[in-house]
Amino acid sequence: MNPFELICPAGNPAALRAAVDAGADAVYLGFRDETNARNFPGLNFSRAELAEAVAYAHARSVQVFVAINTYPQAGNLAPWQRAVDDAARLKADAVILADLGLLDYAARHHPELRLHLSVQASAANAEAIRLYRDAFRVRRVVLPRVLTVPEIARLNAEVDVETEVFVFGGLCPMAEGRCSLSSYATGLSPNKQGVCSPASHVRYEPRGAALASRLGGFTINVFGAGEPAGYPTLCKGRFVPGGGASADPAYLFEEPTSLNALELLPDLKAAKVCALKIEGRQRGKAYIAAVVAAYRRALDAFARGQPVPSLDLDAMVEGGSQTTGAYTRAWR
Amino acid sequence: MKPTLTLGPVLFNWPVQRWRDFYARIADEAPVDAVVVGEIVCSKRAPFLAPVMDEVIGRLAAAGKEVWLATPILVGSDRERTAMRDLLECDLLPMEANDMGALALLEGRRHAVGPFINSYNEATLAWLAGRGAVAVSLPAELPAAAVATMAKMGTALGLSMEVQVFGRAPLAISARCYHARAHGLHKDGCQFVCGNDPDGMPVSTVDGQPFLSVNGTQTLSHGYLALAAEMDRLLAMGIRRFRLSPQDLDMVAVAKAFRAVLDGERSGPDVVAELRRMTGVPLENGFFHNMAGVAYAGAPAPAA
Amino acid sequence: MHDPGPMVQEHAPEDQARNVEVRLTRAGLGLARRLGDGAGGLLLDRLLRILEARHPRAFAALGELPDARLLIDPVDAPAALLLRVGPGLALRVCGRDAEAEATVRGPCARLLDLLEGRIDGDALFFRRELSIEGDTALILALRNTLDGEEMDLFADIAAAAGPLRHALPVARRNAGRVLGLLGTARRFAPPPLRWGMAVLERRLSGPRQGA
Repeated sequence: MNPFELICPAGNPAALRAAVDAGADAVYLGFRDETNARNFPGLNFSRAELAEAVAYAHARSVQVFVAINTYPQAGNLAPWQRAVDDAARLKADAVILADLGLLDYAARHHPELRLHLSVQASAANAEAIRLYRDAFRVRRVVLPRVLTVPEIARLNAEVDVETEVFVFGGLCPMAEGRCSLSSYATGLSPNKQGVCSPASHVRYEPRGAALASRLGGFTINVFGAGEPAGYPTLCKGRFVPGGGASADPAYLFEEPTSLNALELLPDLKAAKVCALKIEGRQRGKAYIAAVVAAYRRALDAFARGQPVPSLDLDAMVEGGSQTTGAYTRAWR
Repeated sequence: MKPTLTLGPVLFNWPVQRWRDFYARIADEAPVDAVVVGEIVCSKRAPFLAPVMDEVIGRLAAAGKEVWLATPILVGSDRERTAMRDLLECDLLPMEANDMGALALLEGRRHAVGPFINSYNEATLAWLAGRGAVAVSLPAELPAAAVATMAKMGTALGLSMEVQVFGRAPLAISARCYHARAHGLHKDGCQFVCGNDPDGMPVSTVDGQPFLSVNGTQTLSHGYLALAAEMDRLLAMGIRRFRLSPQDLDMVAVAKAFRAVLDGERSGPDVVAELRRMTGVPLENGFFHNMAGVAYAGAPAPAA
Repeated sequence: MHDPGPMVQEHAPEDQARNVEVRLTRAGLGLARRLGDGAGGLLLDRLLRILEARHPRAFAALGELPDARLLIDPVDAPAALLLRVGPGLALRVCGRDAEAEATVRGPCARLLDLLEGRIDGDALFFRRELSIEGDTALILALRNTLDGEEMDLFADIAAAAGPLRHALPVARRNAGRVLGLLGTARRFAPPPLRWGMAVLERRLSGPRQGA
């Protein structure tokens, strides 16, 4: 029996089939609206598509989790509550929530529905996690990407709740769900609209052989000729600390880099983490298939006590480089 | 209920002497009703303030200010958890919770919900009120329509509803220290370089455009959020607490100006003009007007 | 920009097939360009209709987008494509300086990979193999919509277009030989447009008009 569940992203039905076929234990997805934190144009699932996705996944013993992880708009709670109702009705295996009011709604109206706490709730300590568990019967917590592995281990020793951690993909250097950088520059935020640095406000400008990325009127990076590029997210931009102009701007917050915690599998197992999550509902099905298959092979080898094959995924990831991020906290 | 002014906690790493003198002057001169104190950004800074904390609290209380203790924004490491637990052992003062862990520990005690807990809608307010919160300070990124709905529903739930009307908007918190990183240092050996920037470290874009402000592990707006011209609207919505976040300028003058608006002695736009004279930092109100937070929207024409 | 050449011997059959498809696409673009908007337009209209019949979900989504033009520029092909999304969904051959709300540029093979969801668009962008300009949201919407389909451009065309129905699978199986044939064909292809137009119109309108 494998010590970890492998939780994989799907931005559309084709990606869901790719993830299921490549060996996911569960697939997480969102509805096509502002109720989820990957509310990007052309992405996500209608109700009918969720029904088909659940049928496809369940027929192959794969679970489906529905992320309803933005913060419901004041005076307009219905779309979020309906999303929870529909996920329950369409037999999703769990909903992934962040908002206190919505957790309260789900716990009261759908006592049988399994609740997971989204990373967007940024529950980073045992006291907070215990509160979510006791108040709403949250069964699993997706941990924010600010904790070290020893901190995760102590947390699991203290609180009786399943923990899920991100092991691969994009990386927020900020505490998730507590960041307004995007809405500061564009008016649209992860918490409210489910978008970070939205494409509608992104422009790429050639500057000679270089490429400038602009967000809402601010130049957030200039990539030299042939230099690997990154997402146009503010926290992965180059800036001038201290202000003014500089010929040598710096990655003040984080380099365009991608999380890969594969080498930490033994530590994560010892820390009693129950599920490993791959980021990337916005990525194409080719990426999903490649990453999920690679992680499946690695987890199977790990479960058999064999050497874990390294992943040849550099070409797929942001900035063409990978990091173990907060888990080993190199910046301390 | 009479509208009140709250002075939020000092977010920056000021030398302890300066920190103490600041609060002494606030106690003596600033027409604020409530003062929230505490080091909420970085647990490494807290020991420097500890020796004068009792003195500052006593002085503010003696001046008739309602004093609240604020809990840290991000509590993840063992050091941060211990600091939070120690802080919450003080049961002489009401607490403002800025993290769900602190909120958990405050059950059954008089407490406020700070702006760093995600209160985005009336369902969340109802849940918070049901657990004993008496006041909620709203996140800076909420637009006017959300503020209006929440002010109405929150007031009906018995909550005192607060909005930040002055000071850099808090935009993000991290486990990493960007001050240390910018200086090529690790967080553990940071040399407290954040102390060099009493109003935050300016951050500009590659094109030299002023953009953000870094305060250790926290990222703030470059401009000062200023809702002086929106005070009448906020009052009409039912907001009764108005938060001023300390910056490196004459906060007594800022408090007097906002007090004058609440007392009907000065107009909001008049105070905006004064703020512009006091500082070269741009003013921002975009979040409230449902625009990019960085924007400043002129007040809409009064309804005919 | 440089053409890697056929290099058929070193590649797996899949790559050989893609190589043929790239050649066919480039030749098709060149031909459509020479044909002009009349017959060339007919060719592309037909292509869109074939794809629409096989991928109704994606085409419904494209039709619901706000009216906008996307310039798709395979930098190693003789011409570019202008895709109009929204209610007036259309595809036309154009010059690479055509006016559009958004532009995607990249090697022909990569654009075909992207269209068929064989490769991840973000990864291409990170590696700077793909460049985008203009309305980023439009490009993302198109990318995400197409990625939601299991699209195989040449199989789709082959399944629908009469004369190609048999030719394409054969071409894929015999990639090396067909490349040679294509090269020969190009050398012998007469430049005058009249010839190409007549042949193409016959081939294109044939199956649909039940001839």
